[in-house]
Amino acid sequence: MSRGVMLMSGGIDSPVAMHYLLRQGHELLAVHLDNRPFTDDSPLSKVVDHLTVLRERYHQPIPLYVVPHGSTQVTLMRETDRHVGCVLCRRFMWRSAERIAQREGATFLVTGEALGQVASQTLSNMRNATASVSLPIIRPLIGFDKSEIEAVAKSIGTYEISTRPGVCCQAVPDKPATRSNLVQILKEEERIDVEQIIDDCVRKAVLL
Amino acid sequence: MYRRLRLCSSGGGFEAIPDPPRRVDLARVRAALEKEGVRVVDARVMLIAGSDPEITISQNGRLLFKTADPDAADRAFARLLPAIESATRPGE
Repeated sequence: MSRGVMLMSGGIDSPVAMHYLLRQGHELLAVHLDNRPFTDDSPLSKVVDHLTVLRERYHQPIPLYVVPHGSTQVTLMRETDRHVGCVLCRRFMWRSAERIAQREGATFLVTGEALGQVASQTLSNMRNATASVSLPIIRPLIGFDKSEIEAVAKSIGTYEISTRPGVCCQAVPDKPATRSNLVQILKEEERIDVEQIIDDCVRKAVLL
Repeated sequence: MYRRLRLCSSGGGFEAIPDPPRRVDLARVRAALEKEGVRVVDARVMLIAGSDPEITISQNGRLLFKTADPDAADRAFARLLPAIESATRPGE
């Protein structure tokens, strides 16, 4: 079976997506983009606890890379159009995950996205976010509705962890774009040094 | 200007919303806080200040205190309020 990198947020969806691929026998690494100070400590502690549950269930080591993302958010908020902030943020998350995948010899990326759940998960936003990377992206939950995902999360023991109190991402704009335009996204990125930002973040990544 | 602090929707902190709406001059708030030795991250449309607890100060006047302890949030709110009140104007 092949090796992949799973983006883990601490939410309900990502451990469920991971569960499906582990069940098929794939080897996975986890990457968490650490959004502090735009969140609190809770997302990281949830990811750590999700992985404890899934490691035990599937007898896999599942290494976790924690990549700092807060300074990227500050740059995006200061230098780019807030309206498309979620898409830009996602592009940086994907790039970081792809760099880790390349370093670790992984050949695909995985996410818990389900179509239309939140602003960043409309079809155009997902397409524009993932245009930043070239590895194939697997979305095991793409056609699931929230109640189906929650039912699986409860059955595998990750739901209670995901729903613990925590501070939501404070970097989400008041009115995020639901239909973004790649030409505009690329123009926004011309204002910042994308490669330097990714280099810094991945260099500071910590393996737990 | 602010109603009582209330638990935020995800339960991880306490928030205060200005009523009626106000706009906060974040540069003035930042200057006031830094003068008191408070560490501030300036993200243009919001500030993130302090560490006990950490506070997010939005341009629209929303304050978020990242603590599950209501007393700690109350104390931080009382400390922060003068800087906020000196840097606000009616909302747009």
